Amino acid sequence: MARITQGSFSYLPDLTDEQIKKQVEYGIKSGFAIGIEYTDDPHPRNSYWEMWGLPLFDIKDSSTVMYELNEARKAFPNQYIKINAFNNARGVESAAMSFIVQRPSFEPGFYIVRNEVEGRRIAYTIQSYAVQGAAEGSRY
Amino acid sequence: MSGVDHIHAGTVVGKLEGDPNAVKGFYDTLLLTTLKEDRTTGIFFDMDWASLRKCLPVASGGIHCGQMHQLTHLLGEDVVLQFGGGTIGHPDGIQAGATANRVALEAMVLAKNEGRNYLAEGPQILRDAAKECRPLQVALDLWKSITFEYSSTDTLDYESTPTKSAS
Repeated sequence: MARITQGSFSYLPDLTDEQIKKQVEYGIKSGFAIGIEYTDDPHPRNSYWEMWGLPLFDIKDSSTVMYELNEARKAFPNQYIKINAFNNARGVESAAMSFIVQRPSFEPGFYIVRNEVEGRRIAYTIQSYAVQGAAEGSRY
Repeated sequence: MSGVDHIHAGTVVGKLEGDPNAVKGFYDTLLLTTLKEDRTTGIFFDMDWASLRKCLPVASGGIHCGQMHQLTHLLGEDVVLQFGGGTIGHPDGIQAGATANRVALEAMVLAKNEGRNYLAEGPQILRDAAKECRPLQVALDLWKSITFEYSSTDTLDYESTPTKSAS
């Protein structure tokens, strides 16, 4: 199984809800907007995860975030879910925190795709097994 | 000011500039958008950097995962930590070295964000993280608490004297 190591804390064992709550609290205390995103496609270049609602701007309470996270988990129990914290301070204006909080029970990993292009040159890329066999209408 | 993206700015516990106050002065100059005069860190005048881009400080030279709590405390999070020997010198190979460094860093930042006194509890945090990560355990056993301690050759030198009035 290929445990994807994208985002902060991805090399540590899965975070418990207690740990997630504390990280969210740190983000709130630092004035960050908290966003929850999910996807079934773990490709490292996938920058377009689905948003679980709008980012929680001016959020004061981590329990709201944990509630939304649990709702997202109920809706998508077998997808990746991550939490982003956006720092809008001048000079930063980007995500200050981004960490995965849920993984599918099985992460099938990636395979190499070989495309023969001009002059029989091979152009390599990777594809995730997780998005294979997902016919129209059956992926979501 | 010449537009450099990142620059070596001292390591304190490594082989580069060792005076913590001087290094704090360098890091503040690179990362803050305004500076206030502070002779203790070598900042000689107030400075507003306006829209000048920040520059990322780099710490490199003899640092290893066993020092992660000190590195986080002294250098913060907006820094490039470069572990050369600390990665390649790992007994189980380079990948293990990189894993050990990453796990140590993530465990330390996790603890810092939680509000723990990660500087005091650092060694314990690393030991706990190492229980789940064999490469980190091997690295900690090998390098233990090796650190580079030597007095700086270029210390901050200042004295507060009142300016004589012109009138």
